[in-house]
Amino acid sequence: MDNVSRVLAGRRVVREVSLSLGRGEVLGLLGVNGAGKSTTLRMIAGVLAPSVGMVRIAGEDLYERPELARRGIGYLPEVAPLHTELTVDEFLVFCARLRGLAGGARAAATRAIERCELGDVRRRLIGALSKGFRQRVGLAQAILHDPELIVLDEPASGLDPVQALRLRELVRGLGADHAVVLSTHVLPDVLACCDRVAILHEGALRHEGALAAFGQDGALRVRVTRALAANDWLGLTMVAAADPIDAADARRWRLRLRDGVSTGALAAAIVERSWGLEELRAENSALEEIFMTIAAGALPAVAA
Amino acid sequence: MSVAALIARHEWRRLAVQPFAWGLAAVAVALMAWQFLLALQAFLQLAPKLGGLKDAPGLTDLLAIPLLRSFSNLLMLLVPLITMRTIAGERRTQSLPLLLAAGVGNLRITLGKYFGALGFVLVILLLVLAMPLALEFGTTLDLGRIAAATIGLVLFAGALTAIGVLCSAWTPQPALAAAAAFAITSLLAIIDAGARVQGIDNAGINYLALPTHIEPFFRGLVASVDIVYFLLIIVIALALTARRLDRLRSVAD
Repeated sequence: MDNVSRVLAGRRVVREVSLSLGRGEVLGLLGVNGAGKSTTLRMIAGVLAPSVGMVRIAGEDLYERPELARRGIGYLPEVAPLHTELTVDEFLVFCARLRGLAGGARAAATRAIERCELGDVRRRLIGALSKGFRQRVGLAQAILHDPELIVLDEPASGLDPVQALRLRELVRGLGADHAVVLSTHVLPDVLACCDRVAILHEGALRHEGALAAFGQDGALRVRVTRALAANDWLGLTMVAAADPIDAADARRWRLRLRDGVSTGALAAAIVERSWGLEELRAENSALEEIFMTIAAGALPAVAA
Repeated sequence: MSVAALIARHEWRRLAVQPFAWGLAAVAVALMAWQFLLALQAFLQLAPKLGGLKDAPGLTDLLAIPLLRSFSNLLMLLVPLITMRTIAGERRTQSLPLLLAAGVGNLRITLGKYFGALGFVLVILLLVLAMPLALEFGTTLDLGRIAAATIGLVLFAGALTAIGVLCSAWTPQPALAAAAAFAITSLLAIIDAGARVQGIDNAGINYLALPTHIEPFFRGLVASVDIVYFLLIIVIALALTARRLDRLRSVAD
């Protein structure tokens, strides 16, 4: 999208946002509530026309040629658009036909049902399903015609942790051969399944970059039961640097490993020394910090 | 137009699985059946006297046409209740993006919604029509007049459905949509009542009124001026609906 702006009810909800996305990429759109994420996604999905600027798919203006959206885009809005008086099967077959899959509608619906693990409920009424299942039906609806671009507006909202994890895996899988845009305000979601991240604040694009640039510098967070000193850590050959997260707490550390050393080797070494390993995870604070700074309104807008 | 047909079929299906729509259809048919039986009984009591008259009115005049006329009044109440959810319901449950994001044009959505709802109304019409037609087994009806009345009722139902869909596009509240559609059709039904009292029955205001155009069909007259009137209502209402959908694409819901 190029310099897209959108005025809703006299308020500029999205200001001059430019984003681009290629096949095989997952873009996470981050922002606090009211940052303009949903509006941006609705424009990308072709549901809402931009006031200024244009959204292009494979070089073609989406607003001029809305039929491009029919086969090319799958969209799951914030509230899954479902016809609750129908069964999962009926509904998905209709959606497939709506997307122009006349002959292969049933096969496409079956594929989507398998992909979203809806097999057990396929003959039940959508209205009788739990929120998590409905969300999955919404997702199935968005992917069943195998679109090039998949737009997901807070897909994990309302899901339990297990379902959210499954969803991340699914999105990750979709990202392999589709272009996926998803919005969220849950940072771990972005970290788990996105290649790139764009942060919106008050309708403006405040940060955009590859996720690899954040928190992927090898820093780890470790919590052990035994109080340790920095030298204890540096005594391990694989540790390049060790800093306490809180000077008063000798049990929580931020470590940086030497190149080529696996996290597993560190875990093995800690266990071998009986330091009482309680927690070991990759540190992602760089993204978190940027997000928090932007959300607090401290960072000036960057030219994307 | 296959997308419009697909949406129409889907709409029909959605109506058909709702207890609300079936309940409404059942109540309408039961009401008409009751009227039909009462009228039949009255006719049977009257029949011996009629036998002595020359050119006596038959079953068609005394039973079939009054029944269909009464049904046309019921339609004014029934149709808004059937159409109220077509678009307003989708907006309320926020499922409209399903159609908008599928790259379906506004006119196709409108036509799909329209014909889906109209199909359901026509099913009820068929059930009601079957009552007087059942008498054809034992007696002779003026089938030509009943055919004319049927054409009139189809056009009338078509116009009411178009108004109902338009109202449904205008507000996200189905109940409000039903009330608005009922208000508009009622207004069209009585708009020239005052003029008629004054003895004016061939002026512009009479042309606007629904009864001016449905009555000839009940008398067995199929006139192009009446057909054009109903088609005009349908075309204008559906064009406004498509416009309204276009507007809905560019506002926050």
